[in-house]
Amino acid sequence: MSLVLECSTRRFKKSKSPAFRAAGITLLGLCSPLNLRKLVRMNLTNFLTVVVTSASMLSAASAESEVPSDSKYWQSAASTEQEAYLEEKLPPGIQVVATALDGPVYADAQGRTLYKWPVSALRNGSLGDRAFGPSNCTEEVLRTEVGFMSPYPAGLLLPYADESVSCVQAWPPVLASADAVEVGKWSLAERADGTKQWAYDGFPLYASNLDKKPGDVLGGTKISSGGDGGVVRVPVGPLPDIPPGFKVLTSSTGRLLVNDEEYSIYTWDGDEANTSNCVQECLHSWTPVRAPQIAADNGDWAIIKHPSGINQWAFRTKPLYTHNYDTRSRSFAGSDVQGWHNVYTQRAVTPPAEFTVQDADFGGQVLADSRGKTVYLYNCRDDSVAQLACDHPDAAQDYRLAICGNGDPEVCRETFPYIVADADAQSDSSLWSVMAINPNTGRRAEAGEEGTLHVWAYRQRPVYTYAGDQEPGDTDADAFGEFYGTRNGYKAFVLRDIYSNYAFRR
Amino acid sequence: MTHFWAGTTGSGVRSLALFFTTLAVAGAATAELPKPYQKDGRIGYVLTDKAWVIYEGDGLEAQCPQGLNASGVRQQFAELFPMDGDQEWTVKETRLMREGRMWHPETSEESFPYHDAQGEIAYGLNLDGKVDADDFMNPDGVAGVDNQLQRAIGCTPGWRSDGQFVHFESLFAIGHSYNRWMIEISGVDDLVNDDDVTVTTYRGLDDLFTDATGDGFIAGGTQRVDARWGENFIEETKGKIVDGVLTTEPIKKARVPWAMRFVGYYDVLDFQLKLNLTAETAEGIFAGYVNAEQWTNRLNRNWGSHHQSYGTVSAASEYRAMRRLADAYPDPETGENTAISGAAEIKLTQVYILHPDEE
Repeated sequence: MSLVLECSTRRFKKSKSPAFRAAGITLLGLCSPLNLRKLVRMNLTNFLTVVVTSASMLSAASAESEVPSDSKYWQSAASTEQEAYLEEKLPPGIQVVATALDGPVYADAQGRTLYKWPVSALRNGSLGDRAFGPSNCTEEVLRTEVGFMSPYPAGLLLPYADESVSCVQAWPPVLASADAVEVGKWSLAERADGTKQWAYDGFPLYASNLDKKPGDVLGGTKISSGGDGGVVRVPVGPLPDIPPGFKVLTSSTGRLLVNDEEYSIYTWDGDEANTSNCVQECLHSWTPVRAPQIAADNGDWAIIKHPSGINQWAFRTKPLYTHNYDTRSRSFAGSDVQGWHNVYTQRAVTPPAEFTVQDADFGGQVLADSRGKTVYLYNCRDDSVAQLACDHPDAAQDYRLAICGNGDPEVCRETFPYIVADADAQSDSSLWSVMAINPNTGRRAEAGEEGTLHVWAYRQRPVYTYAGDQEPGDTDADAFGEFYGTRNGYKAFVLRDIYSNYAFRR
Repeated sequence: MTHFWAGTTGSGVRSLALFFTTLAVAGAATAELPKPYQKDGRIGYVLTDKAWVIYEGDGLEAQCPQGLNASGVRQQFAELFPMDGDQEWTVKETRLMREGRMWHPETSEESFPYHDAQGEIAYGLNLDGKVDADDFMNPDGVAGVDNQLQRAIGCTPGWRSDGQFVHFESLFAIGHSYNRWMIEISGVDDLVNDDDVTVTTYRGLDDLFTDATGDGFIAGGTQRVDARWGENFIEETKGKIVDGVLTTEPIKKARVPWAMRFVGYYDVLDFQLKLNLTAETAEGIFAGYVNAEQWTNRLNRNWGSHHQSYGTVSAASEYRAMRRLADAYPDPETGENTAISGAAEIKLTQVYILHPDEE
């Protein structure tokens, strides 16, 4: 059953409203709020009939929302698209490994991703490594907080103060043999015990004890960090093989191609292979990305002649454009136009089918569960001198429990429920997995443990919804926790943010 | 009223000049909406400054006779967990315990002193149509003003006119277009006296139109309506203009963006406007009720414990005051009021509002 409301005057349609959509109400024309109310009053009988009839549809409202497989954000597991990179001389044993989100990264002989720890300022001091300086990740046993995050003082005993944890246990240095020789950007840093540690661009390198197999990047990401989230580790990789004038940014959905001012690059379905059909009216909204006269084709990249006579870049045979109406960098606005698409060197693989994509009031889109409730990621780094991650089930859960439930696991489960999965559910994406969790402790459950919950996890961290979110697209727990949820708290799984440069929240 | 950071600082002479210019414009506009700012009887304004407003004309000694609240996050921590002795404190029993209280506040009694603001005068409007014992008078002597928020936060430094929130909330709002809130008055025959106008609220998409200093805002800019993401910010009500002052009928729930870096808004219940209009500016207040839970959620998300420490704010303590002084929207089960009355001082600058069908 459906009801059509037609507005005789301008201005807004409420077709996005889940209640209208679920009730099968279609709005024609542009309706002002008063017009809408009048229309609803006029059609009250029909409206109520529709609502009653459609009550069962409300819970299925999200079924009409975008599902990941329809989305512009991801690629299928069958896709072979991967980012090409510039090869450079490597020390023996160092290799390049393809990863699902961060593109190619350097790895050691065992395939473990390599990370750097660049120095960064916190509120009360700086931590990390300086380029061409010594490693500050040591074997010192960590007992107390360093007090750099404000407003809390130094000297508080860490949750693992009695467990003899050190920085190097969590971040084993990538050691070089005694006769290792520096090559290209690869240099050698001397550790306090006299051993040599590989460094890249001057930054000492580490592996993460969270990474278990080649391609894992569980110790960090290339997504830029806001600072107050702690001094983070960043995976190190080769430069993308792109012409001058372009950049590749790690986003929440893959490696996004932008120009050197970080404005998005687009392709058009109306073009043919290495041929642009964007002329006349099309050029009012789109500008071909110009290629210089002296450039040459290279790999995925070709120079084509636009009908106007200029040289234009094409990527994987698709001519490239910028969108004249993009008012902010990293935009997805051009992809709202039928037939136009953002460009990635590689996208993340589609999340499990039960997830949905929802418009959010903050101005963008979020990943949501099957009911349309926003998915949240939990972030945590302790305030020790090593800034260790506490955002995964193998770490102390005290931090998370404080924020989600005032220390009470039961309150946590009510406030930030896990997203429960079938125990045998599978994901095409290596970023997603089903994890067995003891909900009382927040840690991994032992095999056969009573009360075990099987939950969806992203990058080996459980994901959550928030009880306070009432409607699809609500994000009332985005920035819920210390320092906007970056230090110890929750952030929405944001796919797109039209207003700010925080599009790819970390 | 509050002195905003942007648009007014160091601009006394400029403001005075603008005032007289505005008077001249208003005087010349008694018959019709002054051009070039009108279009089809419509005039739009975009928000440039906002702050929850505390009347400070009584003086600090009268308003806060016990002194300002001096027990913010940092002070409470220091009192509970002295670090100068031999005792070793754990992260869990100190920092995380306090963060837990902040994110999951409760109404049980606490040992920290908390002072409510005193006095009989507050900015605001009569939201419930009654003149109650705990109501205020506005500075013009009109009784029945509902503004319990002033009692709750009026003696906390961070919220006062020289506190950090007035400064930062406008600063971030200017730079973050998510906060681009607008009103459009339509059906306007006369900007000075018109007994039947329609007021519609929107969220805009664009940056503000500033002068060469970057501190002042210029009339005549354009704002596109955020019709897709900002749908829930669109509300409509009726109003009237009397002697250049716009007042509106209540909007049951008006969503006002209030984000610093990330997301946030207030759902202001029984929302009303009272604005002095000129062709170039609209200045005055909005008033309404805010749910105490939402208030605390927004406070914590916009301003965590580090930022609350700037102005001796403690969300955990403030929540108790909010719930104690809440004066509307009783919980159907407990009967306890859930929302608190208040008012915000706002400044808006004329802008051409571009609707989707006009782009």
